[in-house]
Amino acid sequence: MSEDTASGRITEEGGRSLPSVPGRYVVGIVGLLLLALLPLLANMELGLGVPGVFVFVVDDLFLLHLTTALYFGMFAMSWDTVSGYTGQISFGHGLFFAVGAYTSALLNLGYGIDPILSIPAGIVLAAVAGIVIGVPALRLRGPYLSLVTLVAPLILLQLFIFRSDVFGGELGLRNPENFLGFGVNDAAIVYYIALGLFVAIMALLLVVTRSDAGRVFTAIREDEDAVSSVGINPAKFKIFAFVLSAAIGGLAGAMYVHTPVGGPTPTELMSTTVNVEVIIAAVLGGMGTIVGAAIGGIFVGIVPQLLDSSGWIIPGFLPVVGGTPVADIDFLIFAVITLFLLYVLPGGILRAVIRNGRRVRNSRRGDDGVATDGGQSERVFTRVLRGWREKRRGDDDE
Amino acid sequence: MLGTVAPLQANLSTVLVQIVILSSLYALVALGFTLIFGVGGVLNLAHGANITIGAFVAFVVSSQMGYGGFVGLAAAFVLTGLLSGAYYLGLIKRIQDEPIMVMIITLVTAVAVEEVIRFVYGSQPKVLTLLSGRVNIGGSTVTFTQLVAFALSALLIVGMFAFVNYTRQGKALLATSMSHKGAALVGIEANRINLLVWVGAGALAGAAGVFLGSIQGASWAMGRAPLVLSFSIVVLGGIGSIRGSVLGAFVVGTLEILTVQYVDSSLTGLTPLLVLVAVLLLRPEGLFGRELVEA
Amino acid sequence: MDSDEGTTRGRQVKRRRFLEATGAGVAGVTLAGCVSTGGDDGGGGDGGSTGDTDSGGGTTTGTASGGSLPDTVSIGVLAPEPSSNPIGASIANAAELAVTQLNEEGSGPEFEVSVKDTREQPDEGRSKYRELTIGEEVDMTTGIFTSEVLLAVLDDIANQQTVHMTTGAATPEASARVRDDYESYKYHFRTGPLNAYQLGVNMIDFLEAKQSDLGWESVAVLVEDYEWTKPVSQALDDEIDRAGVEVAMQERYASGTENFTPIYDQVESSDADAALIAMAHTGTPAVVQWAKQQRPFEFGGIHVPMQLPSYYEATSGACNFGVTQNSATPQSEVTEKTVPFSEAYNEQYDSYPVYTGYITFDAVKQYADVVQQAGSVEADAVVSGLEESSFLGTAGTIEYYPPDNEFAHDVVYEEGKVDPVFQQWQDGNQEVIYPDDLTTADYQKPSWL
Repeated sequence: MSEDTASGRITEEGGRSLPSVPGRYVVGIVGLLLLALLPLLANMELGLGVPGVFVFVVDDLFLLHLTTALYFGMFAMSWDTVSGYTGQISFGHGLFFAVGAYTSALLNLGYGIDPILSIPAGIVLAAVAGIVIGVPALRLRGPYLSLVTLVAPLILLQLFIFRSDVFGGELGLRNPENFLGFGVNDAAIVYYIALGLFVAIMALLLVVTRSDAGRVFTAIREDEDAVSSVGINPAKFKIFAFVLSAAIGGLAGAMYVHTPVGGPTPTELMSTTVNVEVIIAAVLGGMGTIVGAAIGGIFVGIVPQLLDSSGWIIPGFLPVVGGTPVADIDFLIFAVITLFLLYVLPGGILRAVIRNGRRVRNSRRGDDGVATDGGQSERVFTRVLRGWREKRRGDDDE
Repeated sequence: MLGTVAPLQANLSTVLVQIVILSSLYALVALGFTLIFGVGGVLNLAHGANITIGAFVAFVVSSQMGYGGFVGLAAAFVLTGLLSGAYYLGLIKRIQDEPIMVMIITLVTAVAVEEVIRFVYGSQPKVLTLLSGRVNIGGSTVTFTQLVAFALSALLIVGMFAFVNYTRQGKALLATSMSHKGAALVGIEANRINLLVWVGAGALAGAAGVFLGSIQGASWAMGRAPLVLSFSIVVLGGIGSIRGSVLGAFVVGTLEILTVQYVDSSLTGLTPLLVLVAVLLLRPEGLFGRELVEA
Repeated sequence: MDSDEGTTRGRQVKRRRFLEATGAGVAGVTLAGCVSTGGDDGGGGDGGSTGDTDSGGGTTTGTASGGSLPDTVSIGVLAPEPSSNPIGASIANAAELAVTQLNEEGSGPEFEVSVKDTREQPDEGRSKYRELTIGEEVDMTTGIFTSEVLLAVLDDIANQQTVHMTTGAATPEASARVRDDYESYKYHFRTGPLNAYQLGVNMIDFLEAKQSDLGWESVAVLVEDYEWTKPVSQALDDEIDRAGVEVAMQERYASGTENFTPIYDQVESSDADAALIAMAHTGTPAVVQWAKQQRPFEFGGIHVPMQLPSYYEATSGACNFGVTQNSATPQSEVTEKTVPFSEAYNEQYDSYPVYTGYITFDAVKQYADVVQQAGSVEADAVVSGLEESSFLGTAGTIEYYPPDNEFAHDVVYEEGKVDPVFQQWQDGNQEVIYPDDLTTADYQKPSWL
């Protein structure tokens, strides 16, 4: 994470960037390798190099924490697919996690169907949910669609409570079988399964979003009318984005409940906290990048654990919060950091790195993004940022 | 056997009183949200947070400092309005043309406010006292607090109609809500109007928070339900229309009361949401609104 | 050691933070999900009982002070937000107080306690439970307030084969699992509160016993529609006939209900004398609107927020005249140990414990007793020790139902054992009105009636 921030400095002169760091791929691969090798470092102390700061031991517990964080990364990627790319902001993505998870858990608990089969069923139902939410997206724009996504999980939760004989109400269901039977005692395997799934989802989403379809997604976000005007039907692509995102979310949710770290409960899968945390993760990492969302997800998933074990206490001279363990208010801290980032570095920590990378790739492949803005597929935030800077240079807006 | 007890059905006047009292409270809750949505074209997801702030300002002023209910209400009105204005100037103004950014930023702000309130005041609900006493109207019991909420709500709605239709500022506001560019062309400063709207919306939300805190209790998460409610009301009523929002509030209030009285009280949470989705699918511009011009 | 530091720090911080928290009057039931618990166990009766402190039943012969006992016995505590939630704070503080007292007595091994925050989230609960059992290898765990969290860790309890004594969550699902799969789940005990079904039975017992004082001839049953109230409703359905009251109306109203006017109008037109309630999440708007609208019916049953000593102040007195089941209130002498505990607690933490405090204190003390009787912290020995234990605690004489019972390993609800009290808020005090030998005041009708 720290390397990324370091290289994340960019110059903002009309969108021109510093010579790109070849870093994007290198950092990514090194990061994944590190994740892959982590279990081999069993019982070693890791830290940031400063004695006593953020030192943690790689043991089974840590691997389980990291597993949770990986699943959260998948949730964030799923959100990013639809919201970061097409700009259809979903405020209730937990709906998809929950549909996938509950479907699989109910099939497994009620009919003894092995997770191998029940998980795909969860994916299918989640995809159907994606269509149900995505179809209104054809007719609704902006806030109306967001309202649907805000309300949908509330309806689902009300249904769960209303039919709590089936869905367990606010208490959730009991834990279904573990995937392939790997439980707490197989922490390393559970971790590798999560990592494998994480990499697979990331690869799939990267391929899709870097394909023509992905460029249409971005274009829809930038200017839907322009997309229509060149003869592409944005509706088709919106539905596709919703279904893809929902299926991925359903997959992650379904897998999650078949691990020892997750269970089919409303709090874990579809609470307001989850819905908001997913957004925070993606925004922190960088919306519309997949990789940024993935990293943001892992970050938001693991940092509270590290803070908790760090035992840090907020210095007493600060008003109100002074003397509190940092871990007690981690969600608040995340929210404040997110606000701050949105204020000074909109688009997330990794924006610059990713953007540089994309430039490099685009010029190398010689294909530009959809021409929405001077022939360069420029991200919303970049545009916003530039807008602000121009405003700051003196002239009043509008 | 408990199951054999027949459901009791209240008579019409009782139900009407219940509907009017509840709906006017809902209208008060949604007004600020409507204003910002209608004029600025953005969704202020921190609306619920404003309500919470209003309730806790009143709690501090009236309960902790002992100044009494109405001073608390006034303080909530003024302070929340000012805070909302400052928030607009500090964070929202520069991104007001990016509805998505506004949604995300206000959402994150709402979360931060909730966490701060929970941290400072804990998770136990507080109850504000505005007025004690109650009357029986048409077979339903109504507290004086609810009556004040009703009166204030009616007053504010009428006042806003008058303001929009008969004052220069109000007309400018209306013009801005119709077209920013058009308004700019005739020399209306959209930013001043927006600031005015954010201050007003904050003040209204603050007042609504005091009533909610007094009728239902105030807690750190108290803003969530009103946010969804406001959202639903605005969408039902149609964007940018005060009249539509008032009607939307009555639709939601009526549905809720009718469900409790004549259907099954365990469905009260579900019915308005389902109706909302149905309306969205069948008539996305809302029951009484015009189509959303720019997303 | 990492864990040691953690504990100490947690402890200090917690104490101070708890003061602030109480000052501001924290707590209770939030939307986020305190639900679960109904009430708590409480006043056992008259000292009668066989529960001499260290009977502990026969278990093993290895009595003499800890031949095979380790030098230190560590206890893991799972509490929701112990720094800001009085329910969690009471769990954490009571466990620490119990351990401090045990160590001062100094007869047995050294006890130590490690507190973890579940944040009322199942995933967090699971992970903290593992930190305690796998990471710190504690000898037993206690606490857990929300049923959602308890259900999430039940499988882990079975996996880790570590004794867990629940002191907050009321779901009967836990005891059902113990009964259905004893070998796997036998490590779970519920020291309190009563499980949700028995909470309902307890309400009927209260109605039956106090009928003449209350004067409720007909009641309107108002139960919030959440999973935790299902067993309560079931119990009411099963047994209300013997309470001798007529049911004028019955309603499971929607989760998240905030406007009670139409419901109360219905209660009024049904002419019920009282609303018989089971509420946690929706308790505050319900009691506030009942009081402010001065409804012509009385109000009592299980009301989780009303159980907290700080509730009167938080609601500006709106809960006055409300009746709820509760554990020992600070001044009620449920047993000879109740008041000394609540006073010691108040001295240490500058506030009175909520019901989870009494239960947790009892759990830790009972565990220590059983461990010393058995001369071992080995789980199987402790399980059979607990099964046979009869321990006089602050909330009554704690015994557990046998494995083949419907409520296997739940605390025994019986007069003279654990028999919760019913309290009424009267001008800022939690006055006990039932059972009769513990009453501190007579039941009062609301002043507006």
